[in-house]
Amino acid sequence: MQVNGQTHPHREGLTLHALLRELNVQPERVAVAVGDDFYPGARVPDRPLEAHDTIEIVRIIGGG
Amino acid sequence: MPAQDPLTIGGRTFTSRLMLGTGKFCDFGVMREALEASGTQIVTVAIRRVELSAPGHAGLLDALDLDRYQLLPNTAGCRTAEEAVRVARLARAATGVNWVKLEVIPDARWLLPDPVGTLRAAETLVGDGFTVLPYVQPDAVLARALERAGCATVMPLASPIGSGRGLRTGELLRTVLDGATVPIVVDAGLGVPSDAAQALEGGADAVLVNTAIAEAHDPVGMAHAFALGVQAGRAAFLAGRMAEREGASPSSPVVGVPRLPDPEAVDVG
Repeated sequence: MQVNGQTHPHREGLTLHALLRELNVQPERVAVAVGDDFYPGARVPDRPLEAHDTIEIVRIIGGG
Repeated sequence: MPAQDPLTIGGRTFTSRLMLGTGKFCDFGVMREALEASGTQIVTVAIRRVELSAPGHAGLLDALDLDRYQLLPNTAGCRTAEEAVRVARLARAATGVNWVKLEVIPDARWLLPDPVGTLRAAETLVGDGFTVLPYVQPDAVLARALERAGCATVMPLASPIGSGRGLRTGELLRTVLDGATVPIVVDAGLGVPSDAAQALEGGADAVLVNTAIAEAHDPVGMAHAFALGVQAGRAAFLAGRMAEREGASPSSPVVGVPRLPDPEAVDVG
């Protein structure tokens, strides 16, 4: 499984909610993509994750 | 200047013609004060991965009054149309805002945008319901194509991003302004308020500034100065500049000037 460009261990039964807890990411003020599905952080569904999933967790920072 | 001189982008109306980026500020407090001093109503932000090794640090969104500013997430750092479309969708999910400053920049040295990739990404994003503000080189043919694709503005560069070299593309900018049907926003490379004034005097509808303010000795003072520069430039554009002449033309009448007697003249009377 890829999380923000890094390989992350996948285990049977892992869900998106559990992954965010494991990574200590507060869902507010972030966005999450699982493959081509895009979710506001506060409305991330607790979907099961597969070993081949690519996950991005992003936030807003300063830029021009 | 008329009391009402609004700028309309994507169906929203603004009184300020100065957009501000939020990068490079030393802290959020200075950034907030600079935004205030600039009078801006449109604020750009970037999207980046959460640092999973050190999560939880304060986000920029918490430092911005989102009722006050139209947020304009950018796709800075994206090298292809596909990356830009993906980042725009992530930005929409993160902010709930469907505006995007579209940047497709494969060139790391000069940060020059890819016109083909930008147009392709713009078409996809407009179709996906985004209000698209594309960053481009000042190319009139590309600008018209982006307008036809449904972009809300076109944003030609003044000089390379962050260079502070001012309006080096003035002649090309004229061709983009000629016949434009959407607001033209000069973005990138402005260094001082007179650069912004020059862009507005020439007919640009707005400018976007970041580094010139964030890297000023006094960012808040420079934000105020840019606000004045933009106002002066717009007022001058509306007032209509004089025609240029090749030579001099005296402002005072040439007849009736009191003269001393010419010492060379010999009185033979």
